[in-house]
Amino acid sequence: MPSHDVMPNMELYQPVQVEDALALADRLADRGWLVGGGQDTYGWLKDRAKVADAMIDLSAIESLRGVRETSDGIEIGALTTLSEVANNSVIQAQYSLLSQAASVVASPQIRNIGTLGGNVSQDVRCWYYRRGLSCYRAGGNLCYADTPQGMNREHSLFETSRCVAASPSDTAPALVALDATMVIRSVNGERTLAAEDYFVGPANDIENTTALRPGEILTTVRIPNTWANATFYFEKVADRNVWDFSLVNVAAAFKVSAGNVEDSRIVCGAVQCTPRRVTNVENAIRGQAKNAVTAESVATMATDGARALAHNGFKIPLMQNLVKRAISA
Amino acid sequence: MHFNTTKNGAMSVNSKLTRRRFIKGVIFSGAAATTGTGIYLAANAQSGQSAAERLVTLNINGRNRPVDVLPTETLAYTLRYKLDMTGTKIGCNRGECGACTVLIDGVPNYSCSVLSHNVKGKAVVSIEGVKAADGTLHAVQQAFIAENAPQCGFCTPGQVMSAVALLNSNPRPTKEEAAAAMSGNLCRCGAYEHYLNGVLRASGQLA
Amino acid sequence: MSTHIGFDFIPPDVPGKVTGEIKYAEDYKREGMVFARLLTSPLPSGRVVSIDTSEALRMDGVVGVFTADDLPPVAPPGNPALASEYVTYVGQPILAVAAITEEIAESAIDKIRIDFERRDFVVDPIESLTPGGSNAYPEGNVLVRTREEGPEGAPIVGAEIRDIKWPQSAIDAIKSGKEPVGGEFTTEWAFGDIDAGFADAAAIIEEPFVTIGYPHHSLEARTGMAYWENGKCYFHGSSQSQSANNAGLARMLNIDLADLVFINEATGGGFGSKIGPYPFMAITGNFSRVLNRPVQLRITREQEFYIGSARSGMQGWIKIGVKENGKVSAVDLVIVNDGGATGGGSGNSSAQHVTVAYQPENMRYRGISVYTNTTPRGAQRGPGQNEMAAVLAPMTDKAAAAINMDRVAFRRRNVLDSNGFQGGSQGPVTSAFVREALDQGKRVFGWDEKLALPKQNGSKVRGIGVGIGYHGAGGRGYDGLVRIAPDGKLYIHSGVGNLGTYSYAGTCRAAAEALKMPWDRCEIMRGRSDNHLPHSSGQGGSNTIFTHTRTNWVAAQDAITKLKEIAAADLGGSADDYEIGDERVYQSADSSKGLSYAQAAQRAMELGGKYSGQEYPDDINPLTQLAVQGLAGTGLIGVSKDNIPGQGQPPGVIVGFCEIEMDKDTGKYEVLDYTAIADCGTVVHPKNFDNAMRGGGVWGIGLAALERHVYDPQNGLPANTGLYQSKPPTYLDVNLNTKVGAVNIPDPQNPTGGRGIGEPTQGASAAALASAISDALDGHLFNTAPTTTDMIINHLAGNTYSTKSLKTNTF
Repeated sequence: MPSHDVMPNMELYQPVQVEDALALADRLADRGWLVGGGQDTYGWLKDRAKVADAMIDLSAIESLRGVRETSDGIEIGALTTLSEVANNSVIQAQYSLLSQAASVVASPQIRNIGTLGGNVSQDVRCWYYRRGLSCYRAGGNLCYADTPQGMNREHSLFETSRCVAASPSDTAPALVALDATMVIRSVNGERTLAAEDYFVGPANDIENTTALRPGEILTTVRIPNTWANATFYFEKVADRNVWDFSLVNVAAAFKVSAGNVEDSRIVCGAVQCTPRRVTNVENAIRGQAKNAVTAESVATMATDGARALAHNGFKIPLMQNLVKRAISA
Repeated sequence: MHFNTTKNGAMSVNSKLTRRRFIKGVIFSGAAATTGTGIYLAANAQSGQSAAERLVTLNINGRNRPVDVLPTETLAYTLRYKLDMTGTKIGCNRGECGACTVLIDGVPNYSCSVLSHNVKGKAVVSIEGVKAADGTLHAVQQAFIAENAPQCGFCTPGQVMSAVALLNSNPRPTKEEAAAAMSGNLCRCGAYEHYLNGVLRASGQLA
Repeated sequence: MSTHIGFDFIPPDVPGKVTGEIKYAEDYKREGMVFARLLTSPLPSGRVVSIDTSEALRMDGVVGVFTADDLPPVAPPGNPALASEYVTYVGQPILAVAAITEEIAESAIDKIRIDFERRDFVVDPIESLTPGGSNAYPEGNVLVRTREEGPEGAPIVGAEIRDIKWPQSAIDAIKSGKEPVGGEFTTEWAFGDIDAGFADAAAIIEEPFVTIGYPHHSLEARTGMAYWENGKCYFHGSSQSQSANNAGLARMLNIDLADLVFINEATGGGFGSKIGPYPFMAITGNFSRVLNRPVQLRITREQEFYIGSARSGMQGWIKIGVKENGKVSAVDLVIVNDGGATGGGSGNSSAQHVTVAYQPENMRYRGISVYTNTTPRGAQRGPGQNEMAAVLAPMTDKAAAAINMDRVAFRRRNVLDSNGFQGGSQGPVTSAFVREALDQGKRVFGWDEKLALPKQNGSKVRGIGVGIGYHGAGGRGYDGLVRIAPDGKLYIHSGVGNLGTYSYAGTCRAAAEALKMPWDRCEIMRGRSDNHLPHSSGQGGSNTIFTHTRTNWVAAQDAITKLKEIAAADLGGSADDYEIGDERVYQSADSSKGLSYAQAAQRAMELGGKYSGQEYPDDINPLTQLAVQGLAGTGLIGVSKDNIPGQGQPPGVIVGFCEIEMDKDTGKYEVLDYTAIADCGTVVHPKNFDNAMRGGGVWGIGLAALERHVYDPQNGLPANTGLYQSKPPTYLDVNLNTKVGAVNIPDPQNPTGGRGIGEPTQGASAAALASAISDALDGHLFNTAPTTTDMIINHLAGNTYSTKSLKTNTF
């Protein structure tokens, strides 16, 4: 595989109205490539590991940017940058889980242009796949990572199916924890999906990590006020504290009454292809004191069903510890 | 590149085309750059559905610069190769180092990972635009000199840009705030503390 | 009294760095310039059967293809600029394509068809030594030197490739942390009697260890731009030295030294990877000649990973005997080096680190350097010494604990001093004051106070560590060249490169000091060889300060002698009756009788001969001769080879003290304190000293904690070609309140007192951090560099992380 780093030439469309973007997305379908901030896109294209005929640059569509308060929560335009999400006063005040998650993505410059929609829709970081090897996800018939000798330290513990790549997003677990709704539009209209259903694992679709189909655009993320002002915990563990993707992250929301957990949503990233809710832990702590004792008693449940690959076994204790900290914090 | 191997190996790189987006086996029009106009749809900029015009005017360091920009050209490339402004460095071309940092409407961005067509109508400031018109160096530049902050200097223009943006929004940052704000700029020489001392000096917190 | 040495100043290139105006090779353009890109090997090992470039050459805008056929053949173990028959690592350059734009050149690369025959490959040295293991080259798997190893960074000459396998018993032994009895080595030395030494020992530590190579990733991916005019090649390059590689580059281009104009105002980092004229330079210069057009060959970040060189890895075994009184009585050391595609390892330098740290009474070293189908390896900041420092520090702590001795006291007991030795030949050093550095560091860091603090705080645990970094820090015998011009200014001609250390400027201060010139009356001539630059060392990290303060000093002394002789000839008396000061040479008895430097320069031009460079000493390097010839008749010329008498290696030694707070839930830790004290003689340029110390400290964190090669053993592909996968430390991974200091005792063999520090800065930091990690974990030994987050988590969770597999380049 030759090494490239100059952008290949292709068509570029820069619609300013969402309707024009939808029409382009419909017309170009799988020949077109939707670009938000481009921070995942440009690497693929410069590497020429993937190619498209045209880019549809969504960044000029003002209606897809910004945070709006609604009667039952907030709406965040998919093109809102991660820095805007991290610094938005409403999000900071009521949904700080998301602002915390957004504030630790990659680096400041990437957060300044990278979008919330892009962060949740980015492709997996499996290095074999990124190199352009023809693995399952790329249409081939083998996985290079899931072998005894594969260099699979960053890969998944759960729900692998041919592909063992992990979800790279820091904001995705936060959105699942906040029970967000993803608003998807196409020329045929609008559909909504719970964040949990927006993310798709390899068993259901080996090619795509989201439910977005050609011609569709993620336009809005709605966060209901159900979890506004809940007790939140977010933590990301990565090798380096800048740029690196999570080895494991945790995003958790707790409703606490008199020291007891009434309800919770606890979600880990980078442990399977989609954000992983630990519903067994959520159920186990319901009604229990939110403290270290409870945390200690349920921590190992967090990884029930985990299958370690040759080199990612460390993620099991790490995930247990992060869930434990989320509960005991 | 295509390649064939005469022994079967475990690796199947660039095998048959199997998915639409993958380039393997696809013959991509490599001559596009020289015959660029040929690949555009008829231009009708009003509809929003037509491809981008190539001749654009970019506002760089307060000046409007007409320039012929390929549709997917990055801002770093336009600055360095079209406008001969070589102060902006390309360290990785992947958003992994920060040497190419410029300000777009005052916000630091990796110019290697921004399309030039994205900055139409925006104010771009590159390292060449940091010093005053009369040649006086910006406080950040003066402080970086005083702190002997650069080592090899290749990341320095990017460090200057991030520091300038920081002080515009936060004139007296703490060292920790400065480190966070500068953290998207890798310095392989490891001169981090000296850049931070430069930021503190430029903000009047270090004499 | 010193006027320049030991004082801060602003090196003249700093303003250009903060404005972006200083130019690197890639910033130059030339009318008609075309853009070349490399096509690199997709295979770790194979034979090129055929190359079909016809489709690429038919493309609009493509102007040519350059292959190994256009260059003189290079037989293994040489590292060819372009592969001819065999490819031996993923990323090896095979050919270059030039086009009118980079985009076309990259697209053209996709149109080239190459048929390969696959060969077996290997990414792990011990696997290659195993019976039946693959060899990286058709000729074998081990680099055997037939001539003595050159200086660090020098191309490998006088070597052959052999096929060496160890008996399975030796493989099993080293993999289980035992001496690999029966294994064949290619380097071996010993002093004393190790058996007797171990018999004397009150405690014996026996450990396996593994260190993993990693790329330099200088921020400037090396670019070359070359054009030819009137038979001369103008070459814009990126090198650590302005002059040391000119002769080699001229040979690559098959031209006389006088016909090469090497231009290199600034270099975007080197760290050892740009010491010599690296093979890649041959492509740019020769391609330009073939095309008769200026050619810019820029490489990608990924290609900088491939060809930008990397640290060698080690798989090793060590046995350390310690006497009741704390003295190390015996060391037995085995190192298998990962030489990558170029085969060379730095095991001997690793062993040298052990001699400096321990001054063992008896020692044996055995080493072998094995080829793997991974990237070329070369000198990287303290090659051998620094990675050894990182793994040795926790073992040293264990040895100290075994005899109930404080860790700092143990180091103090054993380390090098002025009467000590370094290396297997037990050679002398010029001076060493490491005990003083340890005492100073212990005080500044607050070692005793920190030892007394509680360790546990919830899920957090503190650890403190100490480490020593060492590297040879100076050479002799290079040339100095200065000129006093009729304008009265001092022009200091320097061939020292500008890779970011500013030693080019710091060393010039020696000439200003000697000639008592105000700094603003001095000008450094550098940046391009037609500025008449003398021969210099290769700026192998730590060597420049000692080496080139001396060359500039001796050139200044030559100028002073000539000033006095001219004054005596004009004003009477003998040269001895004169002295210098205030930019004048004057009679000691009557200071009104004298000449200004400007007048003396004018007189030198009138007198000619040696005074203005028409004649020069016959022991100076040919490059310096060319430089003097170019300056002849333009002023008073001071030129001399450094023949200052003396012997021994000037050591650069740093001691580091590190305090971390580790979170036992996540394996992550924060570096709370880092204190580093240098024993580097006189500090020449304090501000720059600080920056070098801190930068090296950052590098130590990379070595001890983050950076490593990762290869897939199934297909030989590297995983960490980019910066985000290679993980150089960022602002938020390092301590940002580092305390640095120096013993500041002048070295007796340098008139200005200085020795270098570039490399040991990293070793001290890596060692101190490794020691602190071990301390936080109750003395656990990982015996790895780096020790990554996953290893720490696994250890804390009770998942055994086994060093004993000795795996390198893979997990």
